[in-house]
Amino acid sequence: MCKQHHKKQLSLAIGALLAGMLTTYSASAEIAVIVNTANSSTLDKTAIERIFMGKMKKFPNGQVALPMNAAKGMGSRDEFNKAVIGRSSSQVNAYWSKLVFTGKGSMPKELSSDAEMISTISSNQGAIGYINSSSVTDAVKVIAKF
Amino acid sequence: MKYFKQSLSALLVSSSLISGYVCADINISGFGSIVAGKTLGTVDDPLNPGQKRDEILTADFYDVGQYNNDFSFKPETMFALQFVADMGEKLKVTGQLVAKGTDDFSPEFDWYYLTYQATDELTLMAGRRNIPMYYFSEFSEVGYAYPWMRPPSNLYWWQVTQFNGLTAMYDFTLGDYSNTVSFFYGNEYSNDNKEMNYYDKLYGGTARAVNEFWTDILGINWNLSGDFFDVRFVYFQNDRDRDTIAQDGSVTVMTPFSQTFLGFGGTVDLAQFTILFDMNMVEYDDAHGTEYPTYLISLVYNMDEFHPYLSYSKADHKRSKRVVKDDYEEHYLMSYGIRYDFHPSASIKLQYDKFVEQGHEATGWAYHGDSDTISIGVDFIF
Repeated sequence: MCKQHHKKQLSLAIGALLAGMLTTYSASAEIAVIVNTANSSTLDKTAIERIFMGKMKKFPNGQVALPMNAAKGMGSRDEFNKAVIGRSSSQVNAYWSKLVFTGKGSMPKELSSDAEMISTISSNQGAIGYINSSSVTDAVKVIAKF
Repeated sequence: MKYFKQSLSALLVSSSLISGYVCADINISGFGSIVAGKTLGTVDDPLNPGQKRDEILTADFYDVGQYNNDFSFKPETMFALQFVADMGEKLKVTGQLVAKGTDDFSPEFDWYYLTYQATDELTLMAGRRNIPMYYFSEFSEVGYAYPWMRPPSNLYWWQVTQFNGLTAMYDFTLGDYSNTVSFFYGNEYSNDNKEMNYYDKLYGGTARAVNEFWTDILGINWNLSGDFFDVRFVYFQNDRDRDTIAQDGSVTVMTPFSQTFLGFGGTVDLAQFTILFDMNMVEYDDAHGTEYPTYLISLVYNMDEFHPYLSYSKADHKRSKRVVKDDYEEHYLMSYGIRYDFHPSASIKLQYDKFVEQGHEATGWAYHGDSDTISIGVDFIF
């Protein structure tokens, strides 16, 4: 009985592993990193990465940076993490989990659409986020594209 | 009556003020692991020569979570809820309510501490937290945070993992490198220590309780990270005391001593690979000159959501002031596994562990025994 149970669990796991291996990646869309129109900072890729990893807490002008993430499961989050941070969304979440559960950091706030990202950033001077390039409006300033 | 009305309204006003002030913004998050496993064979019982027993892998020393030949999810399955109440004015309080299979899932607040953000760079924390011993110690129970099923248990074997005290954490940047330096001070009075009780019984003892005290824990933890690496250095010292309480209530007091803990470890990302390592030295100023040199080296291959890995961890025990310096506890653990991130907040892991006992059998130091263990689990955060 016990052994059978064990085998079933194993075959389930192997099934899950194989199913995952067969999943293919979808084509990527261009991501625009956006800030408030009043923000005059210029940031290179490394600086953007450091802000989103909680390692850089202020813009070069001294303003406190408020990074905003797209909600878990949104395509733009996966694209941003791959292009800018160079890791999968799961790896970035794993990185944050060790900080969050030891009191050493708080994960960036999550917003559930490009429109919400634009409205939040246009009303917060220190906010920084990312959206699909096709969603960009005049309400925000694009500082980098990936 | 007028007075009553006035005082009543004063009470209402003040209570509404109080509730407005007290009503904190509470953020709830959590993590957990559902893990099951078993050992695959039997072994000659090193403490009872001539007798066979199931192979045993101690996956969690502190909680005495052990696998034997029965497929079980009790040794490592756990669930934690974290509450962070932001009280404003730079003050937060954090609590982690943890339920573990080893405690029959009865929930306990394992972490509770206040955080005061003194400046943008300086964070002060007071309360109960994990001691930053090994590189993975502070988040050793957050399975989602690392590739393996667990940090190698033959190193994470201490009977004390937490303390009550103060931590001052200072963040600064040097060039492109981010630094966090923490100073910590505290005590741990672990009455009825689970791991020490287990050892007492393992060697035929009948103690009612073993109380383990680590006091004046004082140390520094320095974390340095760049684009492709994160390393940290730790040093701490503390006093050690142990009282063994017999069934008749009589107390045997161990000769106290102090210990020092030194560690250097981290993670390095090289192309598709991640290397994780840790080197540690524990020294007692006891009559034996006890030393525990330990190290870990692990390699992970990252291909999208799949992360196969290898890990080797070695623990040794020496007594530099004795004639026989090296024939005591010794073992290594070789682990092979794969992590698959099947969901943005959950991963499934499959791991095989080969524990090789190298301790001195005649003197009872080979008490773990060899084991082969298979485990499968899902780790998640929310």
